Amino acid sequence: MNETIAPAQLDDKVISRLKEIFGDDRVLTNNTDLMTYSYDASFETQLHPKKPQVAAIALSTNEVSECVKLANEYKIPVYPRGAATGQTGGAVSTKGGIMLDLSKMNRILEIDHRNMQAMIEPGVVQNDLNEALKPFGLRFPPDPGSANMCTIGGMVSNNSSGLRAVKYGVTRHYVLGMEVVLPTGEVIVTGGANSKALKSVSGYDLAHLMIGSEGTLGIVTRLRLKLLPLPVSRGIVLCSFARLEDAGEAVNAVFSSGLQPSAIEIMDFNCTKAVNKMKPELNLPEDNEAVLVFEVDGANEEVTSQVNRLKKVVEKYATYVKFSDEPEECEKLWQARKLVGAAVGLLKPGGFRVYGGEDICVPISRLPETLREIHNIAEKYGIICGIYGHVGDGNLHTGPVVNSNNKIEMENVQKMIDDIHELAIKMEGTTTAEHGVGIVRAKYMDVEHGPAMEVMRAIKKTIDPNNILNPGKMALPN
Amino acid sequence: MKTLTPEESMHTCVRCGACRGVCPTLNITGREADGPRGRVLMARSVIDGEIPVNQEIKDQLDRCLLCSACVDACPIDVQVPDIVMLAKEQIAAAAETTVFQNSESSIEQPGRLASTVKNFFFDKVLADQKRLNQVGNLLWMYQKSGLQTLTRNIGIMKFFPEQLREMEKITPAVLSPSERKPHPEYTPRANERKESRGRVAFFQGCIMDVMFRETNKNSIKLLSKTGFDVVTPKSQMCCGALHHHSGKKDKTIELAKANIEAFEKAEVDYIITNAGGCGAALAEYSDFFRDDPVWLERAKAFSKKIRDISEIIHEKGDLPKTMGHGERVTYQPSCHLQYVMKVKDAPARLVKRVPEVEYVELPEKKYCCGSAGIYNLLQPDLANDILDKKMENVKKTGSGVLLTANPGCFLQMKLGVHREGMEDVIETKHVVDYLVESIERAEVKAH
Ligand SMILES: Cc1cc2nc3c(=O)[nH]c(=O)nc-3n(C[C@H](O)[C@H](O)[C@H](O)COP(=O)(O)OP(=O)(O)OC[C@H]3O[C@@H](n4cnc5c(N)ncnc54)[C@H](O)[C@@H]3O)c2cc1C
Ligand code: SF4
Ligand code: SF4
Repeated sequence: MNETIAPAQLDDKVISRLKEIFGDDRVLTNNTDLMTYSYDASFETQLHPKKPQVAAIALSTNEVSECVKLANEYKIPVYPRGAATGQTGGAVSTKGGIMLDLSKMNRILEIDHRNMQAMIEPGVVQNDLNEALKPFGLRFPPDPGSANMCTIGGMVSNNSSGLRAVKYGVTRHYVLGMEVVLPTGEVIVTGGANSKALKSVSGYDLAHLMIGSEGTLGIVTRLRLKLLPLPVSRGIVLCSFARLEDAGEAVNAVFSSGLQPSAIEIMDFNCTKAVNKMKPELNLPEDNEAVLVFEVDGANEEVTSQVNRLKKVVEKYATYVKFSDEPEECEKLWQARKLVGAAVGLLKPGGFRVYGGEDICVPISRLPETLREIHNIAEKYGIICGIYGHVGDGNLHTGPVVNSNNKIEMENVQKMIDDIHELAIKMEGTTTAEHGVGIVRAKYMDVEHGPAMEVMRAIKKTIDPNNILNPGKMALPN
Repeated sequence: MKTLTPEESMHTCVRCGACRGVCPTLNITGREADGPRGRVLMARSVIDGEIPVNQEIKDQLDRCLLCSACVDACPIDVQVPDIVMLAKEQIAAAAETTVFQNSESSIEQPGRLASTVKNFFFDKVLADQKRLNQVGNLLWMYQKSGLQTLTRNIGIMKFFPEQLREMEKITPAVLSPSERKPHPEYTPRANERKESRGRVAFFQGCIMDVMFRETNKNSIKLLSKTGFDVVTPKSQMCCGALHHHSGKKDKTIELAKANIEAFEKAEVDYIITNAGGCGAALAEYSDFFRDDPVWLERAKAFSKKIRDISEIIHEKGDLPKTMGHGERVTYQPSCHLQYVMKVKDAPARLVKRVPEVEYVELPEKKYCCGSAGIYNLLQPDLANDILDKKMENVKKTGSGVLLTANPGCFLQMKLGVHREGMEDVIETKHVVDYLVESIERAEVKAH
């Protein structure tokens, strides 16, 4: 079940050198330990887990640097890993090697509230940072659905984002600088070794080359993050539409009216059904094709007026509208959106929600068409599927549900995932808006990027001549 | 009732990692195998027969505290502790038939004597009120006769592991047999209460009733003072949680049936527990009767009535006047209470209603305390680390009173306080005892 392709170099000598670096307790070679380092949250690694030969738990930049130097000397691959909530097999071994667990490097080093920034280690979990920032009235805005569990190191490496990206952007927009261990073991600081500036155009922007490089160019060991003030309050407008096209029109009308919602979420009829199953008291209309949930935020008066304006605009297109600017009622309405990811699994008894083809992105104008096409594809393969996503930027989550012991379904779902990715490119979109490439999307990269892919390979070769860091990902050489 | 069996549940884990942040062992070591997601994979590989059963896998799974924090955090309620338990049962069964010690697929044999003693303890002692009483008597004699001092002095305890020696020191004083008369079968609501808040039954528990007799008495008193008419059925038995967790299915079912019967006869609105561990077990009785439609219905009706004492008082009771004396108080939740019974803040809310008391939230209260017991003996290193961290947080609150809502937590917190040498500074108490004290303080003041 677990396959390990062992590079010959990783022998007892290397293990004992690793133990010198990390101490005996934090170097793991047991079969059972390695099993637990053979996956992330991707469907791919559920089906084909891949064990590293050894796993190490890092606590400091120095340990990371020494480990990478050792690996470079022996030409052993190193796979950086945060919380392994990635959906693409990014933090999983492709050919044995060393799994480097960074989740214990999780100290918040400084909250400099007067300069609106924080210095952290990469293993800090998004939500933990935000809890610590609350007393200062600050926040780190990028908000993936996995904010409760993913590390900020992982977020930066995948350039993650969430449903408020429509107003607040993606992780990339909040990184001022970082400390990185290069594939040769040297440590550099990007964005100015000593800088606390909030803006800088000095030199090549190396931080932004590292962001989204999925651990293939360097290991992030410290981060200097830009923060924003916490919004005072928020309001929610939940509405339902007879036809998908009406929902599309409504979104268009909202933008044209000059409103800037902090989130615009769509759920198809299957999702509505699933959410009702999980929380019957929400009682969402089931005979409609789509539900939209708008969120607005800001100061109290601002929110009330935005909610009222929004309501007026969408009423023209919707069959059903509910809204609120009261915190408790907002929380209730918001539940519809919050629960959907988990609820999708309920579409089928004993169902298993597959993460695959789950974050394609298309132009907003082609959303209705894309949603219909996805349902056609699902029907073709006889698979039930709930679609939801961030309409504000055309980003869709498709959630096929299968029974994991049904062989035919498992094969069909794989084909369905391929078709969805092809569809995304056909619709002038991208195969991944949030989750990254990893192993799973590697096969679409050449089609999506053409000759630009060769430039990416050249950059990788320059920075990582021995191909030590996270090889075999993002269509880069294994 | 849980919708899926452990075997079904173990295949639904999507490896999302939402359970990572609440797992106390993962928090200490950072090893994926010390977290829920890793444990589900390891346990399921044992159950599906994909990996050899050996000492390595046994050691890995033994490190789980079975605290259920992960189930609460999991968006699809993967039953991690049940899955781990099932794998452990299979490992134990394999151990009985394996003789070899150090080969790949072998398991160290548990001492034969130890397992005989354990069986006797579960089958004969815990499941039998009379025997339990006798053990209580023995414990009492041992403590009162000075034998305890003697054994401490001549160092018999030296032969026990350090953990056991420390635990022995914090074991509460057991009441004398004459003080341990059965609770009255019926205790009406207190005189001053005109209107009844409900007719409830009190579940006394086995260990609870011997070792924490005073807390049980106070529980009945508190229920009465807050307006409830209390029945304490004589024929009630141990909840069976310990039997269940040791894989003793037949005995568990026997006890469950006896309790269901005893409490049906009591004809009450609610059945009240003061130990999160017991309450959680009683609330899950229906899981034992999946294949027995008649008992399933009775078990469901029984489980629906289970309430924790803080919960019922907070929701339905009428707390009389209370009075503190300027103390600072914090609360370490019981895992079974907060994660299985889902009673998250009722104890704290009650305490916050006591005037002249400063309630301080315990940082990282989500983490299990390690709940004194077998875990301390089997996993001394990890247990120590977990407890040290807990005490660090307790100290941060600067509290003089540390409240708990379960006997295991109470003992563990006492052990923690003892190890820090802070017995003079921090008092460990059950929420019930604390509330009764503050009511009585107010009564004295009124007179
Ligand atoms: C339920 C669920 C919902 C999700 N929702 C979203 C969403 O809304 N938006 C979104 O964008 N993503 C989402 N994700 C995907 C995932 O959570 C994010 O990509 C997340 O940022 C990954 O963080 P991690 O710590 O788990 O990283 P990992 O999975 O451990 O690693 C991800 C990648 O980063 C690399 N890496 C990790 N740490 C470092 C480091 N310190 N230095 C260099 N490289 C490193 C790894 O090698 C790997 O390539 C979701 C996942 C789940 C399970
Ligand atoms: S047990 Fe639940 S929360 Fe944990 S990884 Fe599995 S599905 Fe996610
Ligand atoms: S039961 Fe507790 S200790 Fe065990 S995996 Fe779950 S959270 Fe961790």
